[in-house]
This record gives sequence, C-alpha cells and structure tokens, in this order.
Amino acid sequence: MAEESVLNDDFIRQLMNVGEVDLLVGLPTHNNAETVGRVIQAIQAGILKCFPRERTAILNVDGGSKDETPDVVMAASINDLRRTHNAYALRTLPSISTRYAGSPSSETSLHTLLAASDLLRAKACVVISPESINIEPEWVGSLLLPVYRGNVDFVAPVYRRTRFEGMLVSNVVYPMIRALYGQKIREPYPADFGFSGRFGNEFLAQHSWHNESGQFGTELEMVLSAVGGNRRIGQTFLGLKSRSEQHPADLVAAMRQTVGVLLASMEVKFPDWTATHDVTAPPTNGPEYEVTLEPVRVNKKRLKQMFAAGVSELAPVLQSILTPPTLKSLKQIADLDGEAFRYPAELWAKTVYEFAASHHKSVMSRDHIVQALVPLYRGRALTFLVENRTASAEQVEANVEALCHEFERLKPYLVELWNGGK
Amino acid sequence: MPARQDSPWYKSAVIYQVHVRAFYDSNGDGIGDFQGLAQKLDYLKDLGVDAIWLMPFFPSPLRDDGYDISDYTSVHPSYGNLEDVKKFLTAAHERQIRVIVEMVLNHTSDQHPWFQESRSSQDNPRRDWYVWSETDNRYKGTRIIFLDAEMSNWAWDPISKSYYWHRFFSHQPDLNYDNPTVREQMWNVMRFWLDLGVDGFRLDAVPYLVEREGTSCENLPETHDIIKDLRKKLDRDYPGRLLLAEANQWPADLRPYFGDGDEFHMAFHFPLMPRMFMALKLEDRKPITEILQQTPEIPASCQWALFLRNHDELTLEMVTDIERDYMYDSYALDKAMRINLGIRRRLAPLLDNDRRRIELMNGMLMSLPGTPIIYYGDEIGMGDNVKLGDRNGVRTPMQWSGGWNGGFSAADPESLYVPLLLNPVYGFQAVNVLSQKRSEHSLLSWMQRIIQVRRSTPVFGTGSIDFLYPANYRVLAYVRELRNETILVVNNLSSSAQAVELDLSKYKGRIPIEMFGKNLFPRIGSSPYLLTLGPYQFFWFRLRRI
Repeated sequence: MAEESVLNDDFIRQLMNVGEVDLLVGLPTHNNAETVGRVIQAIQAGILKCFPRERTAILNVDGGSKDETPDVVMAASINDLRRTHNAYALRTLPSISTRYAGSPSSETSLHTLLAASDLLRAKACVVISPESINIEPEWVGSLLLPVYRGNVDFVAPVYRRTRFEGMLVSNVVYPMIRALYGQKIREPYPADFGFSGRFGNEFLAQHSWHNESGQFGTELEMVLSAVGGNRRIGQTFLGLKSRSEQHPADLVAAMRQTVGVLLASMEVKFPDWTATHDVTAPPTNGPEYEVTLEPVRVNKKRLKQMFAAGVSELAPVLQSILTPPTLKSLKQIADLDGEAFRYPAELWAKTVYEFAASHHKSVMSRDHIVQALVPLYRGRALTFLVENRTASAEQVEANVEALCHEFERLKPYLVELWNGGK
Repeated sequence: MPARQDSPWYKSAVIYQVHVRAFYDSNGDGIGDFQGLAQKLDYLKDLGVDAIWLMPFFPSPLRDDGYDISDYTSVHPSYGNLEDVKKFLTAAHERQIRVIVEMVLNHTSDQHPWFQESRSSQDNPRRDWYVWSETDNRYKGTRIIFLDAEMSNWAWDPISKSYYWHRFFSHQPDLNYDNPTVREQMWNVMRFWLDLGVDGFRLDAVPYLVEREGTSCENLPETHDIIKDLRKKLDRDYPGRLLLAEANQWPADLRPYFGDGDEFHMAFHFPLMPRMFMALKLEDRKPITEILQQTPEIPASCQWALFLRNHDELTLEMVTDIERDYMYDSYALDKAMRINLGIRRRLAPLLDNDRRRIELMNGMLMSLPGTPIIYYGDEIGMGDNVKLGDRNGVRTPMQWSGGWNGGFSAADPESLYVPLLLNPVYGFQAVNVLSQKRSEHSLLSWMQRIIQVRRSTPVFGTGSIDFLYPANYRVLAYVRELRNETILVVNNLSSSAQAVELDLSKYKGRIPIEMFGKNLFPRIGSSPYLLTLGPYQFFWFRLRRI
C-alpha cells in the first residue's frame, strides 16, 4: 500500500517543473480573493527587487477556498510589475498552487510548505499572510535577507501595533517565552516570517505531524523550536500590520493555539528552558517595538463580570489547578468593585505558571486546563486596558516590560512547581 | 557554382566567418593570406559550410582590425592581391561555397585619400564627402559607441581647423551620405567586387549613415532610402547576391531594415545572442522566448542571421542594466575580459570549455529560426587571450595542428601577427584541427555532424516556429514546420537532469524519430508527452506521420 503523503501527485508534478530553488515563498490562503491579489503582486515585486538572480518560486497552499483565491494567485503576472513597480524579471518566477483536503489548518499548510521546501532544496523560505493588505515589496527582502545572505535560521516580524492589539501575546506568550527561553521575540505567533531551509528541514523531520482539520498554532511551535534549539534568530521591523477585517475573537480557540501550544511544548523542551537564565534580544532590523495610541472602546463591566463568573463557576476546576494562595487572591480581586479591580502582574504570572505546572501534571484534561485560563485572562486583559488607557507608548512598553520581569523573577517558582513542590 | 536565381540560398545556408589574416599563411610571413585561405577551402567544404564571410581585407592602417579602410578597391598587401582574390573566389565557387565580403560604408580611415583631400582645404571638391562642422555641439542626442576610447563623436582636425564627425574611433571619419556623389561612389565600390564574383556584402554599421539634428542619428528614414537604392541596383544588376546588415539594434528597430523585402536580405539578430548565454546561466528559457516574442515578423524572402560569437566583443548593448550586470558577473568576472559594453571572449572559454554546453548552444544556433554563422575556430573550441588588448584576443591564428605555429604559418613565431594560444587547455597543442579530425567524437566531428543534420532538411532554414511552454521552464521547446515536415526541438538549459511534459496533442499519432541516431521514440498520444533529458541535453525529433 502506498504511504500517505501530504503531497498529492499533481502537486509533485508542479514541484518537478519548478525544480531546485534558492528561495521559496509560502502563501497559505483560505478565501482571501479580495486581498491576495495585492499581496502576490507585492511578493513578486519584492522578489524582483531584492532577489532578481535567485531561483525563486511562490507556493500557494490553499485550505479549500470557495472564492477562487488560487485562481487570483495564479493569474498574477510579473509582466504587470514593469508598469506598477518598475521591476523587471531576469528569470521566470513560477507560481504553483495546491489545495489540501479538509478545513483550513495552519499545520497542514506549513507541513506542505516545508515538504516542498525540502524537495526543492530551498535555501531560505518566507511565509506571507494573504491578509496583509498593507504589505510592501520590501517585506520579502526584510524577512529573507537575514536568512539567505546572513546565517540566521528564523526571522520573526516586528509590527507597529496599536497598544491593545495582540494582548494575549503581550500578556502571556511574549513574557513567558522570554522567561523560559531568554529570547525577546515580540511576535512569537507570526503571520509573516522567514526561515532557513536547513531549519525548515529539521522541523519537518522532528515535528509530529497530524494534519488534522482546523489545527493552528504550528507557527508558534516553529518559533519555540527555534528558541528552544538555540537557533540563530533575528527580527525585522515591517511597519504597520493591517488586515482586511477584524476577525471575531474566538478566545478559546486563540488560547488553544497560543497558550495550549506553549504549555504542551514545555514538556519536551524542559531541559532547554530550565537551562536558560539570561534574557537577550535577538538582532533586530529596525525598531524593536512600535506602539500607536488609537483610542479603544472597552466594556469594562462586561469583562469584569466574565472574570468574576469564571472564578466562581470554575472554582472546582481552579482548585485542582491553582495553589490555595493564588486561588484565594483571585477570589479576593473578583470581589473588588469596578474601578478598584486590578489583576496584578505578580499574581498573573503565578497564575500562568501554576496552569503550566498543572498542565504538565495532567491534573485534568489538558484542553480543559487551557480553557479554564480564558476567564482569568479576561481579568488580566481588563487590568492591562485600564493601566494603559491613558499611557504613552513608552509607558505601555514599560508596563509590558514590568510584566515580563515578573515572569522572569518567578521562573524558579515555576521550576519548583514543575518538579512537584508546593 | 549554383545558379544565381535559385530560391533564397541564404535561408538554408550555414555561414562561416573568417579573417583572411587569421586562417592560413601560405607564404610564411606570419600573416594569413588569400592563397592560404584557398588552400583550406576543402576543410570548410568538409565542415559543411555554404558560405564564407570575410572580414575586411582592404588596404588599411589596421588601427581597427581593417574596419578603417584606406582603399576600397584593392587588397591589403599582407593578404595578397586582386589576382589572389579572383583565384580564391573561383576555388570557393567550384566547391559550391559562396563568399560574402565585409563592406564598411559608414566611414573610412583617416588615411584614405578621400579624407586627406577633404581635410586639405575648405574648398576641396571632396570637402563635402565627410561631415564637417565649425562646432562640436551638433547632434548632441547621439550616443558614443566606443565608450572606452572616445569622449565625443566629434574630433578636431588641426589641418582644416574644424571638427569632423565619427561614430566609431576618431581615426574613422564618417562619410557624408547626404552627398549624392558619395552614394554613387560607394555603389561603384560594391560593383567592383560584385564584378569580381563576390556573392554578397555584410554592410557594417548601417544605422549610422545619415545624421540629422534633434535625432539619435540612428535608423533615420534617409538611411533606409539609401539602403533601398542600393538593393534596387543590386537586384537589377546582380540578382541573387546578398546584403547582410550589421545593425546592433532592438528587433523592432531592426525590422525596418528588411523593408518590404526591398532592403536587406538578412540582418543579425543581436539581442538574441547574449540572451542565449543568459538563459544558459540562469537555466531558464525566459530570456530567449521573451526576445523572440518581441521579434517581429519579417518578409518571407528575408532571414535573421544568428551567431554565438564573432570577431567583436559579446555585445551587451541590447540588454537591460540588470541583465548586463548579470552577464558581467556570470561570464566576465575578470574585468580584463570586458571591453566597451561587452565581453571579449570566445565561445569555449565562455562556457568553461564544457562540451555539453558548447553542443547545446550550437544546437540552438542551428535550430532556431535563422541562418547560423560560425566564427572561425569555434568549431574546434579555440580559446582566447584577453591580454592581447582590444578584441585581438579572439582573433588569434587558426590552430591547424600541434606542430610548428599550430600549422598556421612557417614563419618564426615572433613574426606572427599575434601570438598563438599556448596554454595547456586552449593552446594549439591541445586544441587543433588535425587531432580533432582523428576522432569521431571530437567537437569538430560533432560540428560536422550537426551541420549535416541541419542541412538534411529545409525546415530549420525556412520553417515556421511555435514555442511550446512546458511548465518546466528550464526546458526550451519549439516546433519547426515547413509544409508537411515537422521537427520538434527540446533543449534542457539546466545543469541537472530534467523531466518535461510536452503538450503535443496537435501531433497525436505521429512517431518522433530522433534526428541524430534515427531512433524511434514512443508514439505521441493524447496525454502530455514525457521526456527526460540529461544535463544540457537536447533532442531534435522529426515527427513522422506513418
């Protein structure tokens, strides 16, 4: 019986026609017909400007679009770029497209891209989000150059963010990765990133691929593999990241894709994160962060209610996860009135660490543990919103930095919990 | 000699470019000559060439390798005399080989008596035979061609105390084609050689004949009028003779030189040549298909002249800046290899002496639409010597054997017009005709074979071309067709083996027969036709309907 493969025969035929490449650009899509045309043109222009001599291919991995997204990708012609971007192609720039079965999955699309990269012997790869409506051609070079011309294995982006954008990252993922692995990766769950073919091949070989529908978070796993494996990491500032529309927040799903992945990875990377003590910033091309101060409307009352309800309703669950002092503190702040409510950084760091230790010990279903963090995170998010409501960009950054320091200071507490103490 | 009025002979010909000086020295003075060239005609006959194109052999101070002519109706004494030329022409024609000679219409040497008279005084009758000016501010929009040597297209003449116009070196003043007497005189020069029996002219630097203020002074309508007039006279008085244009221009700008079939019979396709090298280095057919897509249709009686290398630098004028940089980095990293806007190297060194690449490039030369021109010595893989200055490094003596002076001359080696190549890779002891004749598998034998195969069908010379665009862009594939004969050409531009699927559904049922070995390949069906090609391999298939 033939072995199962993420690559179908038609795709193999397309890869055969492309042959060996120096650079591979991955474009995972799903119903992005409205935006992907501009994105593909920017990618093509970026390649022509930065890598006119390199053998480059663009690979669209589509998760079953109903809006003819792959057709838009394949229709983009480099001949148009002479007029629109004053860019001339020295060589053929092939685009190929493949569609995988089932519903969209970042795991399957990344798996496909890495397999293609391996077969095409790409020296450097970049993944570009099809939703980046403000993408500039320079992004391609910014993400690929450190890999292709330097010796960096993974390039994460830095975006100009609004101060309350990506709070799950700034309040959990960023501080925790920083504390665990000593690396200041501002966008640890990147939509646009570059990596070396060598690192991609290793991740392809080592990762446990399931290719199940709806699997997300593999990008974060790749980042964790890079930071945990002492890979050379770089960051590059790309500017404002605009998306075509704000996706409705499914916080549970987001928690699974970020914190769930992060906690799960701690198991195999225990030797790595316990051996790390110093914190460093990877070489960054451009500013290390940029925050804009657009006003934001927040229903504080609703957030507070959801937090308090969670603490109350999930008390039996939280009792299994948290230490008594932490649970007690949570109950206390849950009783605080509106303006007085605060979820302090230290308590939040302890909460997260206790969740991590319980996840490790499988005190209950690991997915339930991750879900149980959602209402608590809402409380922390409310505090972050309040603390930074009138803050300057520098103050916002200082507050994030203070939170990170709490995570770093309490890392021995995590190790102790992990090893069975307390 | 074939009848003069047969179908356009130049369309199915293979032309061999040679400098008399470089081919064979019959009198032991260190310089090749017409008698020597005549002695080697059998070699060219065996190679399979139909015509020889001779570089300038006229009296000249030789400051530009003979392109600075000081007498149009004689022979440089180093090469022989008119009697030798006549004998050579007779001997060539006896072997069914035509002879095309170089004719430099645009300019003369400053040593030409016409110019000496012209500069002698403002009222000399020949004053107006050249382009004079009191100022060097005229025709400002005109580019300088020899950027490495010239600062301006005007040169100051201290004798007549005025400026004269020159598009090339300052010792090559341009003739004034606004003067009807000049036009008549140059036609008389051409008549002189036609009457001797030459079969055509390669007209040098034709875009530059006429100057007009506010223009680039290239490709002007008045220039085309002059060409039309020459062609009319040629067809009237010497039917079947050839005019071949040297005009280093973009295809669209070249197209007018064919007129309605009433200007040139042939013109060099300059932009294609560097793109063939580029495609090979990039391992990508795009440069070739792109330039041929931009190449306009030409009248049925006309033909493109194709070449890989010639006596000049591999010109990079007709490429973009990004392409030029790529070519320099790929083929001329050593700056000594660069001259003007080009690369002064021969075919074999350009291709790292890689037999597979040399064969592939010659395969494309012989199968793309046009008449192939082989530069002397490239059929045995001669090398070059970039230390010799100007473009002399690609004009070294023909290497006939491993013996004294490579069999080129009995003179003392110090007397040769330029030194022979001596290095262990390309020197005459390693690369020569005699040793290659002894081997069936030598490059020379292979060249004989491919010319023979090309000559076995008129399709390559006169057939149509349709490019196939297989998804594998490292493969350049096209179909040549003429009446009911169809030939499929598939070239692997890559250094690695390639698989390619060709849409040959139009030829369903036909049997591909490989033209070199005559072997049958699987019949073409409805599915894409799968071929695998080794590194730089190419196939020519006759698609037989049986």
